[in-house]
Amino acid sequence: MLHLLGVNLPDQKILSVALTYFYGIGPKTAEGICHRMSIHRQCKLQDLNETQLNELSGILSKMTLEADLRRQVRENITRLRTMGTYRGRRHFLGLPVHGQNTRNNAKTARKLNSKTFRRGYHVFPQRPLASLASWFGMAKEQ
Amino acid sequence: MTRSVWKGPFFVNFPNLKQAIERGIPIKTKVRACTILPSHVGAKFLIHNGKNYLPLAVTAEMVGHKLGEFAPTRVRFSYRQTKNK
Repeated sequence: MLHLLGVNLPDQKILSVALTYFYGIGPKTAEGICHRMSIHRQCKLQDLNETQLNELSGILSKMTLEADLRRQVRENITRLRTMGTYRGRRHFLGLPVHGQNTRNNAKTARKLNSKTFRRGYHVFPQRPLASLASWFGMAKEQ
Repeated sequence: MTRSVWKGPFFVNFPNLKQAIERGIPIKTKVRACTILPSHVGAKFLIHNGKNYLPLAVTAEMVGHKLGEFAPTRVRFSYRQTKNK
């Protein structure tokens, strides 16, 4: 096992596959990195020499990966929520954000969307609608 | 699908926008599709949600979003035993 930027990479795997162990690198990005370093497709991680490994870690350290990326995603969602947008609301409710049907399933959204706001990480709109109404000096408009 | 860049953002000219910002008068509007422009920052809006006009105070981070995003149109389903209530 090779320890790189806090992630254990499997030695015996093909490089482009091994790279997908990172959060933030999929098959496509991994392939792109291999091309950039001009490494052939079937090359395995254990076949890389020292300079290549250095180059690889150099490239990876410039990318936003793992914890940084997770935080970035969470911040983006939190921003939507604090602003009080529809999308932020959907995230908070654990429902699909992009207008999908919710009559059945919506499994992915239920699984993922509410995750951001679980475990004491509750965020509320800075100015909820109810309080804003009073701020404008009007009860519910008829 | 995203809007073509060459068209620029969709927006509506609000007459009296400057006055509204200065005096803090909310602008009552039904144009939910209007993009929030930097010039709108500080303005107060009353956005139609199909039934009521919901208040919104525009801040700098809202620029680029649409007015309608801040006025939810749907009521969350809650079960009632009788219809006549």
